[in-house]
Amino acid sequence: MLDLFLAQSAFPQAMGQGVLAHYLFVSAAMFTLGLVGFLTRRNLIIMFLCTEMMFQAAGIALVAFSRYHLNYDGQTFVIFVLTVAAAEAALALALVVFLFRKRDSLSAEAWLEMKG
Amino acid sequence: MDMIVHPALLFLALAIGGVGVALSIPRRRFQASLVGGIIAATGVGLLIVGLGGSALSGDGTLPSPVFHVLAIIALGSCLQVITHRRPVYAALYFILSILATAGLYILLAAEFMAFALVIIYAGAILITYLFVIMLASQSQVEGQEEGLAEYDAVGRGPITATVASFALLAALTVLVFSGLKDIPAPDAARVAAAEMAVLDRLPGKVEKALAREGLIESGEIVVGVEEAQGVATAVVRGIGGGQRRVALPESVSVTNTEGLAFNLLGDYPGTIEIAGVILLMAMLGAVVLARKFAQIDEEAKAAAAAALAEGSTTGGQGHA
Repeated sequence: MLDLFLAQSAFPQAMGQGVLAHYLFVSAAMFTLGLVGFLTRRNLIIMFLCTEMMFQAAGIALVAFSRYHLNYDGQTFVIFVLTVAAAEAALALALVVFLFRKRDSLSAEAWLEMKG
Repeated sequence: MDMIVHPALLFLALAIGGVGVALSIPRRRFQASLVGGIIAATGVGLLIVGLGGSALSGDGTLPSPVFHVLAIIALGSCLQVITHRRPVYAALYFILSILATAGLYILLAAEFMAFALVIIYAGAILITYLFVIMLASQSQVEGQEEGLAEYDAVGRGPITATVASFALLAALTVLVFSGLKDIPAPDAARVAAAEMAVLDRLPGKVEKALAREGLIESGEIVVGVEEAQGVATAVVRGIGGGQRRVALPESVSVTNTEGLAFNLLGDYPGTIEIAGVILLMAMLGAVVLARKFAQIDEEAKAAAAAALAEGSTTGGQGHA
């Protein structure tokens, strides 16, 4: 068991395409779950949580490709994805708190009509 | 198109997964969370088995069993995030999925990113989410079941959303599974050259490793790493000033953190500046959003401050 774990971690060894396909599938499935959540949930906080889930799915694909090509660019890009996710969380949550105080509700449908 | 998984199996598995996800989305009458979860897991399991079979018959490489455990935990907790009726639990399940993803990163030999993910996502972003969920929770209203808000208890158009999303997943997987063979294998010479370029910038590390192996004497210093006759060698300068080459032993290699650090700071210094600007703008935006709210109540605040001042002066006189 431990041998299997370590054999895959050794960085200079190339990773097979079959293994890459597994990681890409997990990434795509997680992205889809995030999309389903974003479309079906009506709570603003959960909707933003689902966008974070989609960021995370993109991160898995980036790191898997980085591992496959033995190149650090993908992991570097995940750092910037994390930066954008943090910025988005700060702004979105400030906005959610602001909106909650106006309507006393977290429902996205409380904002169906807006004054221009 | 030549896919690594048979199209019929792929679409069957995706359809089963879609039915499971659609079933487990909160609804007015019922929520078949457990049944939906099991059905969705069946679909994912079917596809993983198909993938494993094709990988075995292809290049014979399979991910370790740890991968399957972590993938199940990650996808299962993501399903809980989008189906749980209570926002606090959804956030906690998201933390679980982040931990599982960090495990996947470690399997992919990206240790630094795994720890960064746990610290930044689970430690900072999700805690902020939890704060806001608790800050913005509604006061309990009479007559609602279990104190749940209506918008948390009922999903919006589960069938449409699931069909649209799984159509996207089908498109993604068809593209990935049919184009996978065209992805070139990494170029071993380029990878070795990149590793040597990083080691060339870390003479202190190479020197320590060589001294530990007894390949250089004390007083000799490593001035660089370069290729000579097809092998990586360290250029060592002796006390007298003469140079010699020492072949690098297997134990000297670039760790993930070192490689990532030189890639980030050496190749993308400008991008770091832009990331800093993005964070600054986000901070400014959050402050502005919070300030605007205070300005609305400026008059009420002034009145409250005046009342407080009045109260304290009369209170003080009372004591005297």
